[in-house]
Formats: sequence, structure tokens, C-alpha cells
Amino acid sequence: MAVKLAVEGVGKDFLIPVLDRVSFTVEAGEFLCLLGPNGCGKTTLLRIIGGLEPATRGRVLLDGQPVVADRRHDRKVGVVFQEDRLLPWLSLRQNVALVLKPLGLSAREREAAATRHLRVAGLAGFEDYYPSRVSGGMRQRAAIARALSVEPDVLLMDEPFGALDAQNRRIMQNEVRRIWRETGRTILFVTHSIEEAVAIGTTLAMLSARPARIREMIKNDGRVERAKLIDDLNTLIMEEVERQQGGAK
Amino acid sequence: MSARRWAARLHVPTLAVAALVFAGWTLLSWRYGAYVLPSPWAVARGFVDILLSGEIWKHTGASLYRIAVGFGGAVGVAVLLGLAAFLSRVARDIVRDALAVLNATSVFVWIVISIIWFGLSNWAPIFTTFMITLPVVAANIVEGVENVDRRLLEMGDVYRLNGREKFVAIVIPSTLPYLVAGMKVGFGLALKVSVVAEIFGVTSGIGYIMNYSREILATQMVFVWALVMILVMMATDKLVFDAVSRRVARWR
Repeated sequence: MAVKLAVEGVGKDFLIPVLDRVSFTVEAGEFLCLLGPNGCGKTTLLRIIGGLEPATRGRVLLDGQPVVADRRHDRKVGVVFQEDRLLPWLSLRQNVALVLKPLGLSAREREAAATRHLRVAGLAGFEDYYPSRVSGGMRQRAAIARALSVEPDVLLMDEPFGALDAQNRRIMQNEVRRIWRETGRTILFVTHSIEEAVAIGTTLAMLSARPARIREMIKNDGRVERAKLIDDLNTLIMEEVERQQGGAK
Repeated sequence: MSARRWAARLHVPTLAVAALVFAGWTLLSWRYGAYVLPSPWAVARGFVDILLSGEIWKHTGASLYRIAVGFGGAVGVAVLLGLAAFLSRVARDIVRDALAVLNATSVFVWIVISIIWFGLSNWAPIFTTFMITLPVVAANIVEGVENVDRRLLEMGDVYRLNGREKFVAIVIPSTLPYLVAGMKVGFGLALKVSVVAEIFGVTSGIGYIMNYSREILATQMVFVWALVMILVMMATDKLVFDAVSRRVARWR
């Protein structure tokens, strides 16, 4: 399999070093979950990979091309944030169609593509609703549809279900898993929930305490029993949490 | 519709208080005479008179024309200032400080200055209205521009929307409610201020005719024109701004 994304010694300092030197690669079609103690820099790492923030050290290669923050580039990245970030004054369809404008499609093509991706995300029939008229889970589905509509090289998801209740969370995890199988996209998914990561990821990357490095990369291919995997990861994360708290003292 | 709904619609308690006020007003006008306090009935008759003679349209029209030019100009300039504030941090700080100064300036300052500059002409009340409403509308727009959700703009960056696309899709819709709110307050102010400026040097408009009525000792007509002003204010509020506000916020 081809390497889609290479993170090479990426680090970031805000007053103190947050990310030390993080290196890993993601293959095309992989579903990688980034885990780690709260505040260890998972979101920062995702933002650097998405080109939303510059790295202090190291570089990110997407299809062999370096990702540069704050510059126009041809690569297509879909991001699903912790909040839905839908424009409240546009219908769900208009929200998706908006991000297709830079791709040079006609208005009709944009509408059709938006409708199609909303259907994939399970929102058929709700295309003309304003975001305020649908539930939080549906808004996050629309945000996912929007991210998929640009046919991204890589889909970045930053704790996208953090604001949802347990039931909706479970439903959305299954949905993302299904969408990943159907579309074959490369996905990077940040979460602080080990259960969530084990349920949906094909690869699990555990970050260490601040300043973060990769502590462990684990293939979640079913060879290790899920319950044992969750147990092992819990032990790991508690070690790191203690280290981070110890370091803060 | 039930009796209770109708009662709520008509604000029955308010009507009751109004009836009491009218009764007291009538008594006081008997006591002090029509020069000091004309009776409600004299005011009502005066109102019908100007309605029938068409005088109401002449003066209301003249006032509304000046407000349209002065206030309209203020809205136009305020939008440009908001745009500048959006494009540059430095401009935003300058605009904000300048608006604070304008806000602190009295109506009377602008009336006197405009008479010196423009003489006794239409331009005196227009200029005064412009200078007084500009800071109110502009301050609202600048606040709207500052409150544009940065996270939405970042979303625009992720999907490579260009500056124009972000402006149209994100900045304008999020600033619009602030603009409408500013215009609502600004228009009320414009009506109140322009009539004051009309006392000096023009020969038409609600302010002029009120002052003239006072000079010819027709106190009831002062009340009549005050009533006209109140009606114009309430009508624009209900018919124009309420409808526009609803339209702007229909997605809520």
C-alpha cells in the first residue's frame, strides 16, 4: 500500500514545547486514531497536518508534497471539527454546496453533489433544513458530508462526537465506519476515548505526555482481543497521564 | 381567536391606563386653559384638519426626505467604515476611537455648525442627522464585524474559499443582524434629531411647523404634530424594521 501521509519529526512550541518530535506514516485507505492524555497536543498535531497551523520543527508530506500552513495549495483536505461549524444561515445543502465552489463546479453540479453526499451521511430529506432545525448529531453528519464532498485526500476528524450523548455517539461511530468502508478514504481521527478508537480505527497511535511523541503504534486488526487491547491502552494512557501531572508539579 | 387572545392583542391594561390619562388630561385642560394644555378633543380635531387639508403630507414628507438623505448617507458611510474595519486592524481601532468622539458630541454642536456652514437650508438638518446617526449605525456594524466567528472563517480556509467567497458567505450574513439593529436605533434617533434641527432656518418639516404653531399660539397644533411624529416612528418600527429583522433572522 502507498504511503498517503508522512509526519516527519513534527514539533510545536507554544511558550513550552507541546509536541516534541512526532513521526508516523499513514497508508492510503487507513483509518488511524490518535489517542493520548488530555492536553497532550492531539488537536495541535491535527491542525498542523491540516495546514491550519505551522509546525515549529519537522514537516508533513501529503502524497509526497509538503503541507504548508497559510498558503494556497492544490491538495484537498476535509476537516470535521469538534463543533459542526456549519453556517447557520444556509440550509444543509447550501452548506455543503458552498465548499464545492473552489472546485469550479457549476451551481447545478454543486447542488447535485451536495445532495448526494448528504444522502451518504444519512440526511436524505433534510437537505433544505437550517442547521438550527436539526439535532446535534445531524449537524455533525452534515459536517461530515461537507468534508467528504470535496473528495479529500485525507479526512481529519477532531473529536467530532465529543458534544454528542452516548447513544448518538455510538450511532455516529458506526456511520463513520460505514462511510469509511464505502468511500475508502484515508481518515485521521483524534479522540480521547479508548473505546471509541478501538471500535473504529484500523491503527491506533498513542501519544505520550507533553511534550508529546508517539508512544505506541498498534494495528487494530482483530489479532489482539478487543477487551485486552482496551485494557492495555488504559494502562498506557494512565502512565502518561501520571507523567504529565508529575511534570506539571 | 379567544377573548383572552384579543385582550392580549389590544393590551387592555394599557388601554385602561390610557383612558385614565385622557380623563386627567381633559380635566387639567379645563383647569388651565387651551393655551397651556389643549384638550384631547382639540388635538383630535386638529389632526383631522391637517389630514383633510393635506398639510400633514407636506411637512412629514419634508422631514422624511431630510432623514432619508442624512440617515441614508450615514448608513452608506457606516457600511464603508465597517468594511475598512474588517480589512484592517489599524483601521478598526481608528474607526472605533473616531466613533467614540462623535458619540460624545452634542446634537446642538452639529446644529450650530451646520447653520454656519450651510446657512438656512435643507442641508442643515440633513448634515445634523448624518453626524448624529453615523456613530450609532457604524458602531453596530463594527461590533458585528468583530463578532464574526473566527472558527467559521477558519472553516472557509480549510475548504479554500477565497476572500470574496468568505466575505459573501460568512461576513455579510453574520453582520447583517447588527446592521439592522443599528439602523432601527439610528432611524429613531434621526427622526428625533432632524426635527430639532428644523426649528432653525427651514420653512417646512415637522420641527418647523411645531415651532411655528407655538409662535402663533396654536398649542393644540404642537400636540398634533407631536402625535404625527409618534405615529411615523411606530409605523416604521412595526412595518419596516420588524419585518426586516424577521427576514434577517429567519434561519434562527
